Amino acid sequence: MELKAIINSPGLWIASSFMIIVVVAQSIIFIRAAFKEAKNVGLTREQCVRGMRSAMITAIGPSFSPVIILVGLLAVLGAPTAWMRMNDIGAGRTELAMANAAASVIGAELQAGNFTIEAFGAALWGMALNNLGWMVVALVLTHRMAKAVNLLNKKYDPKWIKLMMAGATIGLFAYLLSGQLVGKGSPNITAAVVSAGTMLFISKALKKYPKLQEPALGISMLVGMFVATAIA
Amino acid sequence: MSNNSSREVSFSDNMVKIGIITVCLAIVANFIPALYLWLVHGIIPDFSTILSIWSLAFVTFGVGWIVQPITYYSIMGVSGSYIGWVAGSVADLRAPCATMAQKVAGVEAGTPEGDIMSTIGVTSSVFVSVTIITIFTFIGAYTIPLLPEFIKSSFAYILPAVFGAVYAEMSSKNLEIGAGTIACGLILVYLLPKLGVSSIYMTLFVIAAGMLVARVVYTMKKKKEQDN
Repeated sequence: MELKAIINSPGLWIASSFMIIVVVAQSIIFIRAAFKEAKNVGLTREQCVRGMRSAMITAIGPSFSPVIILVGLLAVLGAPTAWMRMNDIGAGRTELAMANAAASVIGAELQAGNFTIEAFGAALWGMALNNLGWMVVALVLTHRMAKAVNLLNKKYDPKWIKLMMAGATIGLFAYLLSGQLVGKGSPNITAAVVSAGTMLFISKALKKYPKLQEPALGISMLVGMFVATAIA
Repeated sequence: MSNNSSREVSFSDNMVKIGIITVCLAIVANFIPALYLWLVHGIIPDFSTILSIWSLAFVTFGVGWIVQPITYYSIMGVSGSYIGWVAGSVADLRAPCATMAQKVAGVEAGTPEGDIMSTIGVTSSVFVSVTIITIFTFIGAYTIPLLPEFIKSSFAYILPAVFGAVYAEMSSKNLEIGAGTIACGLILVYLLPKLGVSSIYMTLFVIAAGMLVARVVYTMKKKKEQDN
């Protein structure tokens, strides 16, 4: 069979769908467990539903961001592989880079005449082995991290540990934000500042309108993006 | 009280159990297309090639495999980590959704209530992102070119906009830490590459700066309490 036929074959669709099934099933199991436990810690059903709604609205914008690279992946690796890899760990750019690097091991290149079915096989292994890294580390470390935090809480002032974790989280996002600002040109700065300002405005000045709080991040993002585009 | 804490333990044990089983299943699913190509079409790179591919992945992304699940733990928590490192998009999608779910429910990160709301936030984001990616897998190639140019150009600013808004939301609860840390972040991200520090280590420096600022704030607050 020819490369184009195999990479879009029904068999590969089925083979690729297992990951999507696991991803969705995992979230269904976790959200059911969370709703059940919510009652025990005194969270109302309404709080949970509002949180769910807010997260879903927030997710819309960032879910669109990889669609452009998705179209690129579709063209080179076929629809089933692009579908699977955009829904699992590894950003679109990472998957593309890894697929290309793996193909290069056998002397081929994505989108070149020498991208044969063997090169496609190498690309599949490349992406799988790369994604394996994160999953294994999460598997080995997550429950140990939970234990470590418990231990820290016992050993030190829990107030300090909570503040320290907040500091770590803020530090992480300060890094991510700085990376988007330093040396990136003024539209990026506009997008970040306008979006941050909108977010603060909604959560402070419009605090009295709970309905506005749920889509706050989605709205802020769009305002930031559009203002940056308009004056770029 | 003892009853309460034993229940918390069993909930978190339950989360770990679900997490371990589902991540193991994801690891299997991760290799099914490659195995399919081998079993059905007889195509598989020879063992030494697979080994070279793995070393290439390890050299390029190995530090990220180890550092990222640790550095994101403070925001993702137990269940969020198990989901995030399978479903991906941790920084730009899962973490913002966890933050928003906690915000509208009025709970704090790092508490049992916060963990439950972040689990709800992260899982909800999975349902949305899988739906959108699936729709675009089928119609993306046809619809993307039809989008107005203004919308397409604005896609370039999704990341600064998301991170800006998330940062504002996080900092509004810890104003001093937020202001101090972004100042450190900007300076470090500007200076460190000039000193030849690679980006993965840069993350650690800025996180350390955030923790240091938190320590200063904590010490000052404690001193104030004692003085009063």
